[in-house]
Amino acid sequence: MLSPLHEAIWHGLIYAAEEMGVILQQTAISPNIRDRLDFSCAILDPTGRLVAQAEHIPVHLGTMAVAGPLIVDRVLREYSVEPGDIYITNDPYLAGTHLNDITVLKPVFYSNRVVAWLINKAHHVDVGGSVPGSIGGRVSSLIEEGTIIPLVRLARRGDIDKTVIEILAANSRTPLQLKMDLHAQLAALKRGEELVKQLIERYGVRNLLDAMKSSIEYVREYTRRSLEEYKGRASAEDVLEGMEKDYVIKVGIDIGGGSARVDYEGTSLQAQEPLNSVFHVTVAATTFALKMVFDPQMPVNQGFYEVVDIVAPKGTLVNPIPPAPVSAYTETSQRIVDVVLRALAQIVPERVPAASGGTMTNVSFGGRGWAFYETIGCGFGARPSADGVDGVHVNMTNTLNTPIEVLEQLYPIRVLRYELRSGSGGLGKYRGGLGIVREYLALDHVKVSIAGNRVRSRPWGLNGGLPGKPARYIVVRSNGVVEELPPIASVELAPGERLIVETPGGGGYGDPCERPEHLIREDVDEGKVQLEEIVKILRKCGKWKQT
Amino acid sequence: MWRVGIDIGGTFTDLVAYNEDTGEIKHLKVLTTPREPWKGFMKALEELGVPIDSVKVIVHATTLGTNMFFGQVGLEPPQPVLITTKGFRDVIEIGRQNRPELYNPYFEKPKPLVPRKNRYTIRGRLDARGNVVEEFDENEVVEIAKKMCRKNVVFVVSILHCYANPEFERRIVRLIREACAEAEEVVGSCDVDSEPGEYERTSTALVNAMLRPLFRRYIAGIVEELRARGFKGKLLVMQSSGGVSEPKLAEEKPALFIESGPAAGAIATAYLASKRRDKLAVGFDMGGTTAKAVLVVDGKPSITHVFEVGGKYHMGRRVRGSGYPVRAPYIDLVEVSAGGGTIAWVDRGGALRVGPQSVGADPGPACYGRGGNKPTITDAHAVLGRLPDKLAGGKLVIRRELALEVYRRLASSLGMDLYDTAESVLRLANMIMARAIRIVTVERGYDPSSTVLYAYGGAGPLHALEMAEELGVRKVVIPPYPGVFSALGLLLADYRHDLYYSVHEAVENVSWEELDAIYVQLEEKAYRLLVSEGVERDNIRFIRILELRYRGQLEYLEVGWSERREIVVEKFRELYKAKYGYLPPTEPPIELVRLHLIAVGFTAKPAIRVPKGIGDPKPTGYAEALILDEGWVKTPIYNRAILGVGVEIGGPAVIVSEDSTIIVPSKWSGYVAEDGSIVFERR
Repeated sequence: MLSPLHEAIWHGLIYAAEEMGVILQQTAISPNIRDRLDFSCAILDPTGRLVAQAEHIPVHLGTMAVAGPLIVDRVLREYSVEPGDIYITNDPYLAGTHLNDITVLKPVFYSNRVVAWLINKAHHVDVGGSVPGSIGGRVSSLIEEGTIIPLVRLARRGDIDKTVIEILAANSRTPLQLKMDLHAQLAALKRGEELVKQLIERYGVRNLLDAMKSSIEYVREYTRRSLEEYKGRASAEDVLEGMEKDYVIKVGIDIGGGSARVDYEGTSLQAQEPLNSVFHVTVAATTFALKMVFDPQMPVNQGFYEVVDIVAPKGTLVNPIPPAPVSAYTETSQRIVDVVLRALAQIVPERVPAASGGTMTNVSFGGRGWAFYETIGCGFGARPSADGVDGVHVNMTNTLNTPIEVLEQLYPIRVLRYELRSGSGGLGKYRGGLGIVREYLALDHVKVSIAGNRVRSRPWGLNGGLPGKPARYIVVRSNGVVEELPPIASVELAPGERLIVETPGGGGYGDPCERPEHLIREDVDEGKVQLEEIVKILRKCGKWKQT
Repeated sequence: MWRVGIDIGGTFTDLVAYNEDTGEIKHLKVLTTPREPWKGFMKALEELGVPIDSVKVIVHATTLGTNMFFGQVGLEPPQPVLITTKGFRDVIEIGRQNRPELYNPYFEKPKPLVPRKNRYTIRGRLDARGNVVEEFDENEVVEIAKKMCRKNVVFVVSILHCYANPEFERRIVRLIREACAEAEEVVGSCDVDSEPGEYERTSTALVNAMLRPLFRRYIAGIVEELRARGFKGKLLVMQSSGGVSEPKLAEEKPALFIESGPAAGAIATAYLASKRRDKLAVGFDMGGTTAKAVLVVDGKPSITHVFEVGGKYHMGRRVRGSGYPVRAPYIDLVEVSAGGGTIAWVDRGGALRVGPQSVGADPGPACYGRGGNKPTITDAHAVLGRLPDKLAGGKLVIRRELALEVYRRLASSLGMDLYDTAESVLRLANMIMARAIRIVTVERGYDPSSTVLYAYGGAGPLHALEMAEELGVRKVVIPPYPGVFSALGLLLADYRHDLYYSVHEAVENVSWEELDAIYVQLEEKAYRLLVSEGVERDNIRFIRILELRYRGQLEYLEVGWSERREIVVEKFRELYKAKYGYLPPTEPPIELVRLHLIAVGFTAKPAIRVPKGIGDPKPTGYAEALILDEGWVKTPIYNRAILGVGVEIGGPAVIVSEDSTIIVPSKWSGYVAEDGSIVFERR
């Protein structure tokens, strides 16, 4: 049990993690961090266990629980840690996710020993590699995806060693942004350290250490009690699309007696393209789906993983071994959520929506001296008692869009369309959310790479609901030739050429024949469905009246 | 003559009246009448019992903007027609593409301000510099205008990049006006908000346009009723920025008035803090359901520029995408769910939690004996002997046995001691409220321990000193009439107008003479406005503020104007370093975002008179009360009404007055100041 004193300290730590995030967001200059909040901040106990985390975006949630103990263990083995030290790495197999995410770590000392670690991780626009934005592209190994920073000491006793930063900047297409954003990460560590030291001053170091321990026990207990209400076994699989071939992600879930086991046995072997999801990400995606279904309020720290056991066979798409490339892992993480939800729909049908669009649709642009990265929302799956939501980010991401007026001030791109994609939501008693259409016109020579999914497969419906429309990525050349792109692609656009991205709609829920008439009418009035398709469905249901 | 403040909130209407001749203060709290709110306004005024012909000034604040918006006041907002650039019909529906809740599968986004069927798009395109890439088609515009034309229709035009070429959008607006003379409103987005960011700007313009007809009716209703009753004084309306203006501005730009109610407390704090010369103050207002914190620097409450109508807060932070964005100056208040009626409970993990649910005014805490059966923060005070037997001047009897009963149940489900449980509830409540104070200080670059805490609201003084311990604050001021203090702010507000000029250029590249000339123009405009409101020349002050950031950053810092560019740049760097701890190793260019001019017209303030107390008071009794970090202490009870200026009271003590109770721990002592405040310092 968490005593009120320990609760106060733990909340102080969570606040410190949040405050680190505020500093990071306010001082960073890339839209990735300041608008999209693609970062996370956490506080670890002396052995690296995750104690407190600010929930900025879910893709990072849980990656810290795997990364923390691994990184801290390595630091302690390889260095004699001193106050004022800062460590840095972007090795996905150590810190999780992909090379764009740079992790920095700083110890908090109290009378000559480490009593806590501050850690944060942020997505940098470009860390080199073969494509602008360092995501996607035709790569078959990590080394092609950008600059790898092994775990090294960035600052010793407070003195920052510029070597690492200069090498990194020299290998980035956006060196100034990289430096500023890294500076923001360091500013965040500094503030976090001040706040943790204040807690020690107020409550004493003994209480701080005890509170860390009991907060982990508390979360374990909370999770156990949340899971106790459910029992069952289920399995499910779903498709993840590669550049040319499809992969399978498979899961078996066993819940009972207040614990859960999630096993990815049967998932495809690791890919020779950037879709691999390191184990950290698999854990994060699984955590997200469980939390959404069992208790959205559930607190998460290391204690969660003492009752939730996540198993992924080595050498597969969901637990690859080096040097498998990982930059477009976000797509895989989306699908992991889908497949876990699909299995949970059999155990707790009343809590699980139909599949959402299931892609982050990463689009990167670049030219001489610039790079820009954004993600596009899609349709949220229909719920057991309500329509899905149109045009939002789903599953593992929840970042903001870049305003078109800002984008066009900075880059030689003009946006021609940013609209809901009519007719893309899966029909059902409850309709799936609509995807989005975003159309770009190149004003200069622009390299584009796209890492998306659900081009060949479709977001599934539930209980008789129809699937959402698949994604389409289209290039219109100046001579009028139209090219359809695969889910992961890199192309070059000449001035005047266009890229049209249509993101998938969410799956429908329940039999479309049961949809109330006023909702059908509203959909038609609002232009959110295609009239012919509605007529076709109504005929099939025997409900079509010639009026 | 009387000055009257009237604050209409969602649930309660607060009135405060001050008699300039006698110093008498009257206060009244009544339920808000949602239908025909101007009638509620009049009824409350009559109940207050102040003869209308002896009222000199009425200052009105309201959260009705928000309520009207949701059709809660029997005034349906008009259904606007939105005309926007081809390809961007759904910007207003997609918003920023995020979902307001991460993990809840049943989340909903707020309903779009305009249904999709009323959103039209037209050809015609500007680039980011304002160059016309494609001219709009007059026929297309006229056709839409004619098709949608009907009596009372509201048209809003929002063209991409209009901030860079406002005339382009204005030409479309004029064309629609000509094509549809019956339209109630035809508004261009850039005439309401001239900043980039298509979603926020369109939303601001829509909210403003939709509120205009409602505000017009509302204000006309009040003016007419007041006049019919013989009111000859002046009616002023409070803006969300805490400044007042003539009602005419509320009819034109209602977006500036959406949440003026909560601003009053900040104004009262600012007034008292500047009189007391506390450079850095935090206003802390704890009522029945929430606690609010606001930072006051040099006598000015801090202001922010983005607000979401109907938006939600989570642990003191705004949940992005939970409401409709409005870009207008707004007092930067942080609110948390902790008030006297907030409920304590046990969660799944077996931890004791406080809030966010609250029992509300009815039935209220268990110890009020009105049928409440949930353990609240107020009940925890009762359990721990920290409340007097009677509240509200004897109108409310505290029934401690009922509080003990609900706490016994809570304690047994935790397996804890009854008193430990109640003590823990107070500690957790203080932690939640301290968080609000940390957000307004630490996250704005100020150290909470160097601020003076101004605590008020019915429950604020009960918590203030122990919370100060938690924050490291060393000085706390409890103003006179803490229960009414926030409403008093209505009578202390100045006229205020905020004017802006967008720049978005590197600070090295702008001509300082030109900036000065622009400021002079803005000042002339503001001057005319204030004079037309009846402000005298000598009472007008201008404050020039530059908004600066490193190019690429989202947040800007505010730096006061200086004749010399180098001084401004140096000040920016200093502020940056103070706030973030580092200067960037490789400095990007510093960007001048906007010029901001605050034009203030000082009003005459009532001098609040304090009842004459006596010099050497005796305790009226003793209580066994629990003080945090000290345990059970035998504490003397003092009656605040008889404490004369200069009287010193050392902790432990309980100081009771009609509207609130102060708990004084042993490490603190206070004295009654000239202005009637009790000023506490840590020994």
